[in-house]
Amino acid sequence: MTGFEVGIGGVGLWMPGYSGVESWLAGVPDPEHAQPSGRAFDRMNRRRASQLGRALSDALAESGVQAGVDASTTPTVVGSAIGEGCTMVGLLEQIFSAEDPVSPAAFSVSVHNAAAGLISISNKNEGFASALSADSDTPAASLIEGIGLVATTGAPVGVVCGDEPVPIHLLSEGQRWSLQAAAVTLVPLESNTKCLARLRVVLDGAPDLVPAELDLPGSRNPQAGMVDLVAAVARGQTGCVRLDRGTGRGYCAVVTSAPIS
Amino acid sequence: MPAPRVRPLCVTDYANLNALGGSRSEILAALAAGRSGLGSPTESFGFTTAVGEVRTELPDLEGELSAWSTRIARMAGVLVAELEEPLRRARKRWRPERIAVLMGSSTGGASATEVAYRHYVEQGALPADYSFQRHHTFNALLNVVGELSGAKGPAWMISTACTSSAKPLATAQRLMAADIIDAAIVGGVDTLCALTLLGFQSLQALDRQPCRPFSSERSGISIGEGGALALVERSGEPRVLVEGVGETSDAYHISAPHPEGRGALGAMQVAMSQAGCSSKDIDHINAHGTGTHLNDATEGIAIAKLFADQVPVVSTKGYTGHTLGAAGAIEFAFASYAIEEGWIPPSLNCEPLDESAGIFISKTLLKGDFKRVLSNSFAFGGNNVSVLVRAP
Repeated sequence: MTGFEVGIGGVGLWMPGYSGVESWLAGVPDPEHAQPSGRAFDRMNRRRASQLGRALSDALAESGVQAGVDASTTPTVVGSAIGEGCTMVGLLEQIFSAEDPVSPAAFSVSVHNAAAGLISISNKNEGFASALSADSDTPAASLIEGIGLVATTGAPVGVVCGDEPVPIHLLSEGQRWSLQAAAVTLVPLESNTKCLARLRVVLDGAPDLVPAELDLPGSRNPQAGMVDLVAAVARGQTGCVRLDRGTGRGYCAVVTSAPIS
Repeated sequence: MPAPRVRPLCVTDYANLNALGGSRSEILAALAAGRSGLGSPTESFGFTTAVGEVRTELPDLEGELSAWSTRIARMAGVLVAELEEPLRRARKRWRPERIAVLMGSSTGGASATEVAYRHYVEQGALPADYSFQRHHTFNALLNVVGELSGAKGPAWMISTACTSSAKPLATAQRLMAADIIDAAIVGGVDTLCALTLLGFQSLQALDRQPCRPFSSERSGISIGEGGALALVERSGEPRVLVEGVGETSDAYHISAPHPEGRGALGAMQVAMSQAGCSSKDIDHINAHGTGTHLNDATEGIAIAKLFADQVPVVSTKGYTGHTLGAAGAIEFAFASYAIEEGWIPPSLNCEPLDESAGIFISKTLLKGDFKRVLSNSFAFGGNNVSVLVRAP
């Protein structure tokens, strides 16, 4: 569906117990990384960021460093199905349960683009930043948005997808998921930027890559397909990986070998 | 980075719904008369403020979509119905898989979840008919618009607070440039909800009276609701063209604008650069103009740097209120009215005018040949969008 092909210059990941792609592929969880660090944020914005924001920032930073891009100029696309849903429910709790005044600080970071904003502030990036949502098609949507940006600017784009658990009141137990975030840095193929693989997004693909091994709550996360893509690229695999884990419209990522430089 | 040159988007048709009404004639009549849609809220929130509520009848969604029939989805339904004929033509012209649904919303289904959550607090369980997926998520709205319009292309919701529904215009341009789509339904909707009213109240950003953008006596925003959708195509017979969309970040503060309006300035510059034009080619600006001290002051600084007092500026927030995630799309429609109708409405409640910015705030209905119009939207997260609309 997208004839336009881009390169993947870097990948990043935050999963519960793992600080990044390498540690996750090694499969040895570290209790120190039970929560995302938000290390790419400056101190003030780290304090403002939710767990989701920190996970998104961790994954995006890892991906950007591997790609060797400048975080102060690289456009950022943040994908999340629910976004800052936990912050929003916290505000509803204040309004309807505690009957407290709404916290202005919490209200300011309850918007879906809170992480995108905090990332741009921390990186002093005055360029493009966006945040979008498309349920379990969020990885595909975010990648297509990123591909459109690469096509028109000819410059690298950071794409990061993540979701935190939906507050327990709102989803039944069998539907709940755990926090995760995964990122890729898209680069134009004709650039001199380092490239790990080529990428196209298609709607009518024939998936032939085995999805990453995730526990049940992890596999239910709407962004699990982005984790599958990151895992495939990090392992050097080529083929077709489904981006929605079978719960969306069927978008796939076709990963092929990187051009020989 | 230089702004990429992209082909102008053909805007085949557009529909607008807000506190002034649900039809073009109703909205134009109110704008021409300088009649505000702001009034007291139907629901009490424990403080005095003015809001721009949609009073247009919003029919329930029918058939299989009846389970998705929230207020925001019904607003979207009204807007899609307005575009029925051009959509039918577009589906003949382009494959439905090449027609995207690119929308923007800040609140999404928050108002439905508020009702459900109140029920949860009072009775210990969510209402039996509440569904998080069908009533809260952005995807619910995408599903409704996709089903009603017959568009089967890529679909997503941009949610960047108050720039949400302006950004899809840029996305559509890019996806056409990358040959991913041929047409798109773009725009967005937002509804009034307690969360946003109480949130802005907590920031001490709400005016107790109808808002007064660019007045020296302004004291905050009035929240509104509504939406606008446009059908944009790769080619065709446009009512207006979108020549450029500037998207920047302040990189300054999560909820306060850059004091010198750097991001706002940059967004307007990028939009003009994409269009290959300069400040002297701009005939009118529909300002973000929310009515807070900081927002209007910093936007004024940015406008003054580019246009001094040579271009008439209007904030339409005094008519509709600040419709948050829907503002970009609604005000894109207002910018298009200026081009198509040849007049701009007075900037309501702007007197006594804040003269400090040195820009030309239009206090009366102004007739003219408006060929190129900028529409500004700025948001939490330091997110800025400026849309350049041009006569065909």
